[in-house]
Amino acid sequence: MERQMIISVMSKDRPGIIADVTGAIFELDGDLADLNQSVLCGYLTMILIATFKNTITPEDVIAKLSHTKSDIKFDAIVKVMDTPIEMMQAQLPEKTYILTAQGKNQHGLVYGISSFCYQRNINIMDLATTLADDQYTMILQLDLSSIASIKEVRDDLDAYAKKTGLRVVLQHNDIFRVTNEISMK
Amino acid sequence: MLRSDQILATVEMIQKENLDVRTVTMGISLLDCRGRDIDETCSRIEQKIARLAGEFVSTCDLVSRRLGIPIVNKRISITPIALVGAGFERGDFVQLAISLDRVAGQVGVDILGGFSAQVEKGMTTTDREYIASIPEALAATERVCASINIGSSQKGINMDALDMVGRTVKELAEMTRDQGGFGAAKFVVFCNQPGDNPFMAGAIHGVEEAEAVLNVGVSGPGVIARALERLIATAGAENLRLDDLAEEIKQTTFRVTRCGELVGRQVSKALGIEFGVVDLSLAPTPTIGDSVGEILQILGVDAIGAPGSTAILAMLNDAVKKGGLFASKTVGGLSGAFIPVMEDALLAEAVGRDELCLEKLEAMTCVCSVGLDMVAIPGSVDAETISAIIADEMALGMINNKTTAARLIPVPGKEAGDHVSFGGLFGASPIMPVRNVGKSSRFIAWGGRMPAPIHSFKN
Repeated sequence: MERQMIISVMSKDRPGIIADVTGAIFELDGDLADLNQSVLCGYLTMILIATFKNTITPEDVIAKLSHTKSDIKFDAIVKVMDTPIEMMQAQLPEKTYILTAQGKNQHGLVYGISSFCYQRNINIMDLATTLADDQYTMILQLDLSSIASIKEVRDDLDAYAKKTGLRVVLQHNDIFRVTNEISMK
Repeated sequence: MLRSDQILATVEMIQKENLDVRTVTMGISLLDCRGRDIDETCSRIEQKIARLAGEFVSTCDLVSRRLGIPIVNKRISITPIALVGAGFERGDFVQLAISLDRVAGQVGVDILGGFSAQVEKGMTTTDREYIASIPEALAATERVCASINIGSSQKGINMDALDMVGRTVKELAEMTRDQGGFGAAKFVVFCNQPGDNPFMAGAIHGVEEAEAVLNVGVSGPGVIARALERLIATAGAENLRLDDLAEEIKQTTFRVTRCGELVGRQVSKALGIEFGVVDLSLAPTPTIGDSVGEILQILGVDAIGAPGSTAILAMLNDAVKKGGLFASKTVGGLSGAFIPVMEDALLAEAVGRDELCLEKLEAMTCVCSVGLDMVAIPGSVDAETISAIIADEMALGMINNKTTAARLIPVPGKEAGDHVSFGGLFGASPIMPVRNVGKSSRFIAWGGRMPAPIHSFKN
């Protein structure tokens, strides 16, 4: 029997972090399934999924990771996944939308828009933000499966945009896919 | 997720540049609607259109809301009516037009095209009855558009039909005198008319088509104009050359066409009706910022009609095709830039300033689709001169293996420099002067046929 674990790592960025982490997994005879990493202002965060033999515990993985030989140590969290990876990698929901919100930088912008989503039971699947000059841009990938009326969400968003002074646009994910990818499947 | 810059570029295109789908047109075959008499035929036609298109407009609206992209026009095209009405007489065709107008209103479309005939080689008795019915049929209806194909690269030009259509245009304008001759704006004469064009007034559902199909016309020139302006603003005009601008047009067209393809496929799936083609035409509207003329100005001529205008239009037309062809599984229809004078605010202004004349407009139609479109001319121009202007336009299409068309409006009681307005999508314009009026009647009087050009003999 095997078990899948989700591993999250955070550290000040330096050469060799990925080699250290994947080396530890290799030594435990684990199989790396998926990896996603991002660097923000010199700090790296990485989330990855690996399959281990049933005899390996999350504590074993933590112990192995902590044996890396570097001055800059990283923080790691390891959990056993309760749903198999195959089921989690299903296609995007049909009602996947992209919400962009742009405006003058101020406190609470992400909190505001994420609360808007939460109040309507809208799941944020991905989020990217950038600050350029004093303009803040948020791009959210949303699952609107629980929404019965898109028109209602649009009306609410219009009101929200008016209240906050943000320029808010909600478009179906397919629009971005077909205008930016070669394949149209 | 996609890259942020790609997402923001697409958002710009939708929000600031008014990306929309210009038209979704449902083509419906009426060949099986023939009844024992005119009443039964009309009734069958109305039933079939109501059955196939009953949910058409609401489905388009639903897809439009879901994707967040407006679908501006929802229209219907039908089998050329002269085929459906074989053996019928003039009055019967008027009755057919009224019947089509009624059902178009019932299903909620603003225009229905296909009150048409194809007579490029010869005319049947029915075709003559049909042509004779056009003025009354269009004057008596609101939504019906007529078109007639009188020439092709394969068969030449039917000069007898040409003579008749010149007089038809005059009569149509006269019968709708109180509307500035608006009837003539609903009638277009073609050479090499395609059977899958979604744009009006010339849309038909060709006999080569399936039972019913959906054809899509993509967004207007506003998107291209804004994309060019943005490129010039960010890169600086001094750092750009013409091929960079052509590339920008190509890439923008790819994105625009993709949106049209997506919308078309989704409407087609929801209705269970076959998806036909995306027509890559840049169709202007009288709205400010949605003009082909504006693109010509951005690309470097200060007056539309100035030397260089034809060359720029040629490049624009070509870049639009190159970008669109790869974006769509099936491209068809007219696919090119339109220069309908009354429907393009900047072209109309250029006419008013005497910068754009009929002869330059004709030259420009050699390198784009569709032809001398929505050109208001003095009401005093005689039928033979109108036929001769149409003949020149037909010859361009015939020799160059392309579609050309003419939609001329001799505005009753008005002369060059006066102004005419039809409102809405049909627009407004000063009356364009016509030179050498009354000097072509001997040519038109010959009748017969202009033989097909040498390059039609490829077998």
